[in-house]
Amino acid sequence: MNNGERREERRTAAPALDFRPGRGNMNSRAMVQKPKDMKKTIGRLLRYLGRSRYVLLSLLVIMLLVTAADLCGPLLQGKAIDAIEPVYRNAATGEILFDYDKNDPVWGDIEVKTTFEVHFTAGNYVGRSGKTAGLVPYLVAMGVLFLCSSLLSYFQGTISAKLSQQTVYNLRSDLFHKISRLPISYTDTHRHGDLMSRMTNDAENVSNAISQSITALFSGVITLVGAFSMMLILSPVMTLVALVTIPLSIFVSAKLGKFMRKYFIRQQRLLGSLNGTVEEMVTSYETGVAYGKEGDAVNVFSGISGELRDCAVKARVWGSIMGPVMNFIGNLQYVLIAATGGALILFSGTSTVSIGNIQSMLSYSKKFTHPINQIANQYSTILTALAGAERIFEIMDSPDEIDEGTLEVSPAEIKGDIQFSKVQFHYVEGEPVLCGLDLTVKAGQKIAIVGATGSGKTTVVNLLTRFYEVVDGNITVDGMDIRQLPKRTLRRSIAIVLQDTVLFHDTIRANIKYSRPDATDAEMEAAAAHAKADRFIDRLPDGYDTVLAEGGSNLSRGQRQLLAIARAVLADPKILILDEATSSVDTRTEMHIQQAMLALMKNRTSLVIAHRLSTIRDADVIVVVKDGVIAESGSHEVLLQQGGEYAKLYRNQFAGIAT
Amino acid sequence: MRKLFRYLKPYRGFAILSPLLMMGEVLADLCLPYLMSFIVNYGIIGEDISESKLASTVMGILFPSGDYTSLHIIITFGVLMLLVTLVGGFFGTFCAYTAARAAQGFGHDLRRDAYARVMSLSIEQTDRFTTGSLVTRMTNDIAMIVEFVEMLLRMFVRSPMFFVGGTVFLLTLDIRFGMVLLVSLPVLLVTLILVLACAVPLFSVVQKKLDRVNCVVQENVSGARIVKASVQEEYERHRFDVANSELRSISYRVQRLMAITHPVLVLVQNFAVIAIIYLGGSSIAEGLGGMSTGNVMAAVTYTTQVVFSIMMMTTMFHSVSRALASVKRVREVMDTEPVITDGEGAVTSPEAPVAVEFKNVGFRYPGTVGAPVLHDINLQVRRGETLAIVGATGSGKSSLVHLIPRFYDATEGEVLVDGAPVGSYKLKDLRRKVGFVLQKSELFSDTVSGNIRWGRRDATDEEVRDAARVAQADDFVSGFSDGYDSMIAEKGASLSGGQKQRLSIARAVARRPEILVLDDATSALDLSTEAKLQAALRERMQDTTVIMIAQRVASVRSADRIAVVEDGTIRHCAPHEELLQISDTYRDIYASQMQKGGAANE
Repeated sequence: MNNGERREERRTAAPALDFRPGRGNMNSRAMVQKPKDMKKTIGRLLRYLGRSRYVLLSLLVIMLLVTAADLCGPLLQGKAIDAIEPVYRNAATGEILFDYDKNDPVWGDIEVKTTFEVHFTAGNYVGRSGKTAGLVPYLVAMGVLFLCSSLLSYFQGTISAKLSQQTVYNLRSDLFHKISRLPISYTDTHRHGDLMSRMTNDAENVSNAISQSITALFSGVITLVGAFSMMLILSPVMTLVALVTIPLSIFVSAKLGKFMRKYFIRQQRLLGSLNGTVEEMVTSYETGVAYGKEGDAVNVFSGISGELRDCAVKARVWGSIMGPVMNFIGNLQYVLIAATGGALILFSGTSTVSIGNIQSMLSYSKKFTHPINQIANQYSTILTALAGAERIFEIMDSPDEIDEGTLEVSPAEIKGDIQFSKVQFHYVEGEPVLCGLDLTVKAGQKIAIVGATGSGKTTVVNLLTRFYEVVDGNITVDGMDIRQLPKRTLRRSIAIVLQDTVLFHDTIRANIKYSRPDATDAEMEAAAAHAKADRFIDRLPDGYDTVLAEGGSNLSRGQRQLLAIARAVLADPKILILDEATSSVDTRTEMHIQQAMLALMKNRTSLVIAHRLSTIRDADVIVVVKDGVIAESGSHEVLLQQGGEYAKLYRNQFAGIAT
Repeated sequence: MRKLFRYLKPYRGFAILSPLLMMGEVLADLCLPYLMSFIVNYGIIGEDISESKLASTVMGILFPSGDYTSLHIIITFGVLMLLVTLVGGFFGTFCAYTAARAAQGFGHDLRRDAYARVMSLSIEQTDRFTTGSLVTRMTNDIAMIVEFVEMLLRMFVRSPMFFVGGTVFLLTLDIRFGMVLLVSLPVLLVTLILVLACAVPLFSVVQKKLDRVNCVVQENVSGARIVKASVQEEYERHRFDVANSELRSISYRVQRLMAITHPVLVLVQNFAVIAIIYLGGSSIAEGLGGMSTGNVMAAVTYTTQVVFSIMMMTTMFHSVSRALASVKRVREVMDTEPVITDGEGAVTSPEAPVAVEFKNVGFRYPGTVGAPVLHDINLQVRRGETLAIVGATGSGKSSLVHLIPRFYDATEGEVLVDGAPVGSYKLKDLRRKVGFVLQKSELFSDTVSGNIRWGRRDATDEEVRDAARVAQADDFVSGFSDGYDSMIAEKGASLSGGQKQRLSIARAVARRPEILVLDDATSALDLSTEAKLQAALRERMQDTTVIMIAQRVASVRSADRIAVVEDGTIRHCAPHEELLQISDTYRDIYASQMQKGGAANE
């Protein structure tokens, strides 16, 4: 074995493992991100590993065995090579003679040659082959050892796969469960893309680090210690000589690594901004075209792309210098050991060191330097994973949605009286949205909430459902403070139809039943009919079993809204909240939806964020929200006569007369 | 594939040099075991150096007197080894440099052209690709191809050369060693192929399961309100756990399968080593000559190199198939011919009283059959006039205005701007005349003023502010803590729909267009704001022709004329009062929005 092979091994190892489905993983791995509190994160991550402690333990044991077997390899190989030496004995006395020299007349010419023996004409000497004597047992031992080690290394591979998959499963699962317990304010204020990337990229990075780094670190350390002890046993002198190159290789890899990282990080940043540019321009393509910005966009893009090219070339060159330099150091070590060994043999003969020993030394010296590189290579993987784990834990540490209500009421018992008293609320400190809002809604009443954009209409809904908590004042349902009701009871008694309908990648049936999974098919279909959604559903080839595309994008806006109404009908709640904005639905579709909504509102307490005149006129009470309080309330006619805010709004909104 | 390789042409010097340099590196690498065997044979074991012509010649040149010890041999060949390593490393690094120059240069040119191609496609063409897929094609796929080209220039030379070179060197040591390869290589190949054949189909399954997990997360993040409102957190957790554990078990299966490859490789390699030692060892023991310990050691090295090169080649095949898929996806973009191209430059009559004219225009979306989207459109819009367009969803309003800045080309008839057919304009000139505000307001991650200035880069701060005032955006922008310097994050996620629309309008106004098209761009404004906007537009942009699509009658009633579009053609075009008289459709719309019970009439 020599250095060329080790180098080959290093180059192949990565792609050989890298069969996972296509992804630009070179990029994600080269990025080194620094975790903030490493100690704490490592501790928490270890606790995750601890959940699979038996798997981890058996992995470590197997790794120990594999590494030990690996370490025995060169020793056996050296012994085998030693055994190749023919042994020459004096046939009469049995005395062993080493230095056969065909020019020495003592030996004479070879006379007879059998498989195992060489006879010489001088008569006294017989060369006995070492083949049967020594070689075969070593080879058999090697064969058995390699077989066991391969078998064990297969188990090591599967167990480490199991460990990493289990850990990433746990991480993902805990993270998702956490997300589902977070208050709405969290998802409202955090970028969705960011949450997604923590779920996927960060979890993936952690899993990579577990499957690669743990193995690499553990077996690296064992190999290091093992190889060093073996070398010491074989020859302390040669070991000392070999050690000379170690500081050199550490120094060089640290120096070169710094340059490499510098360019890789820059490359990563450029790649990020390149992707950002493409993403922004391609998704806003129409705007770009409308402004004739194509040329500019190409120039900007080309500028970044050119910078990326230059940086990538530098990164590659620095990256590729590492190999030859380490190779040179490795070969230097090889020559040093060989020279020392040669000198030892030359000056003190084979009694102190055998040829096989030198060969073993050479193999061990390679095993000795290899893990140093390997451990250094893990550095960035581990840092990236820790940074990822930190981001995951960051979410897990955010406070849960508060749900302290203990009143035992079943949703069916709730009648639907709602009362807001002196409710104050702000999303951002210092920017009040509601300032002491009072509102009373009696069970079965239909309330239309109107007001200018940003006046706080939606906030009323957010507070009633406890998506957000009031800052001051209180809200009661049937006289009970909603903070004392368990959230599930409160929300079960309310149904919401939002202007942006959320549909799931599932069948229409499941989507309607979402509000009440225990409903029968008949109830579900009745609800669809009630919502006037049955007509278009029947026309679909698979009817209720039609699977919706992600986000329901294979349905029109109007159809989506009808499904949302069907969902609310099926839930059959006591309180109904409608955000009826239909700005981009045409008049005819709107009529359809409106009919369905009117049917839905019957016999329920309804809060409607109203945009349509018809809804407003039909409402029992119209409340006008302005400056965080209710400016006025009453019926359409009364309010019009008052000539206040409502009258102004009405003229503006519906009659189209500018004031 | 070949077509994309054209992009390597400017870098052909590097591209040709790189494999040559790689050959140098491989040759150097292959020489090393030979030199090492000299060290072992003649330096350590002390065999007769005259057995090797090469070794004795080298020593003869350096020590003409023949007066040298075995230590001299070790040091001589040791220094030679280091020199060869240096030369090899030199070749290797330069190979990396040339390959990187070629591949990265190739990548840059390809990326630039692909991007320019995307930018020159029509909206309909980009829609067909979908934006998400265009983004991955521009980024991931091209990155994949660049990586592939680099690998092609380096590894595709390296592995076969190691295979051939290693085999040749091995056979020169002893022809019987060929038998070892003959047995071990097929075993390795068959195993690798079997494993890959089982695993590769599973990769796409893994991807699918991963997509499923992402889909559930996405739905829960963006649909958090409905999940919570329906008290379905339990159910969602269950749904996620199912998807998650499916992902876990399939990933585990794939990894377990892939875990076979490494042990098998090592096993085959080690058994080959055992065989070599046995064969070589018995030769030595039998004193057959021509075989030595050093040779056995060199043979062991060559064997491992050959075995590894096989492993490398299989992984290469895998990456070829991956790269080919990317090539195909990029090619699809590059091969799409832009349908909207520059005109010669128009001869316009800026004094003409008609700013926009539709002459017998008909339109259908490319590749569609059946009734056309628009037909028999005849319309003249006077300079400075405000024209509103109303009609049901799908009646063709948007398509109609999209023909003005040539988002699409009319399939029949002619659209004229300032008396010249739109097709005769240079696209840049045409689109400079037309300010177009889209239904979907799109903002960029930049400051507020940066976004408004997007319309006209050299606009002064005062002009930016002025445009915002016209668009009724000044009030809320001034309320931001950093005013016009506030950053708009995430394409305006923090802004309300109405605010986004107003900023988009400000952007178009800042451009001082001759023709301003509002494609349902005021839907999220309340009517009083919209009324103020219209008043401001009338007052401040008197010479600008305004064409606006709207859903609400209240938004359009003050327009000079209102065009009612129905079933792909203009039924009527008249002022509000007159339309109430002549158009049933308009009366219907009016009634449904303005009078009680409009909905119940059906």
